[in-house]
Amino acid sequence: MAEVSLQGEQRVFMTGNEVVAWAAVAAKVDIMYGYPITPQNEIMHYWTRLAPKYGKRFLQTEDEISAGFTMLGGVMTGRKAFTATAGPGNVLMQESCVMAEMMRLPAVYVIQQRGGPSTATVIYAQQETTLTCFGGNGEGHRIVYSTATHQELFDYTIKAFNAAWTYRFPSFVLGDGYQAKMREPLTIYDAESKGVKLVPTEPMVGEFKPGKQFKHLRNTYNTEEELYEVVMANQRDWDAMAPKVVEWYEKDCQDADVVFVCHGVVSRAAMGALDELRAQGKKVGLFRPITVRPFPEKQLADAVKNAKKVLVAESAYGQLLKMVQVAICGGKAEIVPMLRPGIGITTEELVEEYNKL
Amino acid sequence: MAKVVKIALAGEGGQGVQSIAEILAEAANEEGKNALYIPNFGVEQRGGVSIAFVQISDGAIGAPKFVEADILIPLSPRAVKRTKMHAGKNTVYIYDNSLVQEAEVNDNIVGMQYFDVTPPCPTADEANADLQQDMIAGEPKTCSFTKPGPGVDPADIPTNVKKVIACPANDLAKNELHPRVFNIIILGAIIAATEVLPIDSIKKALETKLGDKFKADPKLRDMNFKALDRGYELIKSAM
Repeated sequence: MAEVSLQGEQRVFMTGNEVVAWAAVAAKVDIMYGYPITPQNEIMHYWTRLAPKYGKRFLQTEDEISAGFTMLGGVMTGRKAFTATAGPGNVLMQESCVMAEMMRLPAVYVIQQRGGPSTATVIYAQQETTLTCFGGNGEGHRIVYSTATHQELFDYTIKAFNAAWTYRFPSFVLGDGYQAKMREPLTIYDAESKGVKLVPTEPMVGEFKPGKQFKHLRNTYNTEEELYEVVMANQRDWDAMAPKVVEWYEKDCQDADVVFVCHGVVSRAAMGALDELRAQGKKVGLFRPITVRPFPEKQLADAVKNAKKVLVAESAYGQLLKMVQVAICGGKAEIVPMLRPGIGITTEELVEEYNKL
Repeated sequence: MAKVVKIALAGEGGQGVQSIAEILAEAANEEGKNALYIPNFGVEQRGGVSIAFVQISDGAIGAPKFVEADILIPLSPRAVKRTKMHAGKNTVYIYDNSLVQEAEVNDNIVGMQYFDVTPPCPTADEANADLQQDMIAGEPKTCSFTKPGPGVDPADIPTNVKKVIACPANDLAKNELHPRVFNIIILGAIIAATEVLPIDSIKKALETKLGDKFKADPKLRDMNFKALDRGYELIKSAM
């Protein structure tokens, strides 16, 4: 294979972790802050290999708490920065995530979910969905893209930086250990020459008008009323943003008796099951939230309005299920859960589950 | 939907299962097909069974793992036991009926990630004596294969599959070629069993991967290609 580069477009065959590192280069990221944890280690490995070639930086910190906060420091000075983590590392990073929510910092986190709770497995799960959407002591003012293919991992990593710097909310790419470690083909490209505009960055702490030396970004407030105003202002911004960033994928839902609802890599199994069952004349459809936060609630409710049953499949015990329940509460479709915490879901298992309905 | 060929390989850590899965998937990608390769990985270091899942198709590929394999290749007695659930009625089952030795992991590498250790050579008398190795406190970062294994228990071989083929790849490698090309024999066997790719595409992929080494020692190329052809012929005649 020819040497990989971002000149024009190039079809490549690589692991998801390598894809993320290339996407960060394509997004013209200045610096990555990180602390190793399986299964995201190779994002750091590849980034440190690529960074010197592109004049970029890397800082390894002493833990994930520090990686999160040093990234916020970088972002405050106007650097396009990100970090990547998984599992217990994601837990430790939550304090920086809510600080980013409070100070409206465009931080970007790549999460390669592993098994939980605690150290659990280094392999795979979808058990960080709730944590990534709502972790910390806040209201979940975040954008979370749940990817399913390497092409999406590349595209949405670039998009996460743009969304963060446009709306000034922390943005997340929610992958998993399977996506991190598997290899499959995708096309990588130079974002700008492909017409993908990169949102410019700017420092957030400096203010150099006469009489002023700095801008104070606050995360501490004295009164309840003061805090209330700030959180509500953020909430209004978030509500206004939500319809602009919400993304979903749906296939064959309108005439379907049964609609599969999955997110991330599990939707690949659903795509396989859909093809197989449609070929047998079964009326099935698929709805997949791409942004799990904001969740495409109206779109899901519309997609399942004619369905008799909604089969929710996830590699966690009810994290996606709760979001689905909220979205289609009061609808006539019966929700059937297929909950497999910490273990992969194959096409065969999904077909088997369908046949039990 | 285009047919997806599902291949599962399993063996002792260090048998080279992951490298052949990678070569196979890369060759398919170079042929313009869709390919997906995922290793299993965990925290265990004390002699685990390593499994690789490869899927090749002209169309889209769904979930990265699967239950039933079209081609299932367990390469050690333990791998035979570990992969039972992947054998189904449409499975072509290829196993190594040599007396494979199981890995014994030295204490100096316990706790290290698999990509940090040097793959040992399961059949060589001295593990990778001719390979440059990273050392920790004077000890090589590798496992040793010192325990003679019991061989595959015939009772462990599934009977409800499409076809069972015994391939003494380890013995072949040791006696006819070189222990190091054991996994390349298996690669030839997979191509013969699936015909999913032309054998030349594998040679091209090997050339890409090992080109520098081939240049330094052209005998290596001959040996690898011979192993590939040997595995191919062996299974072709059995199919």
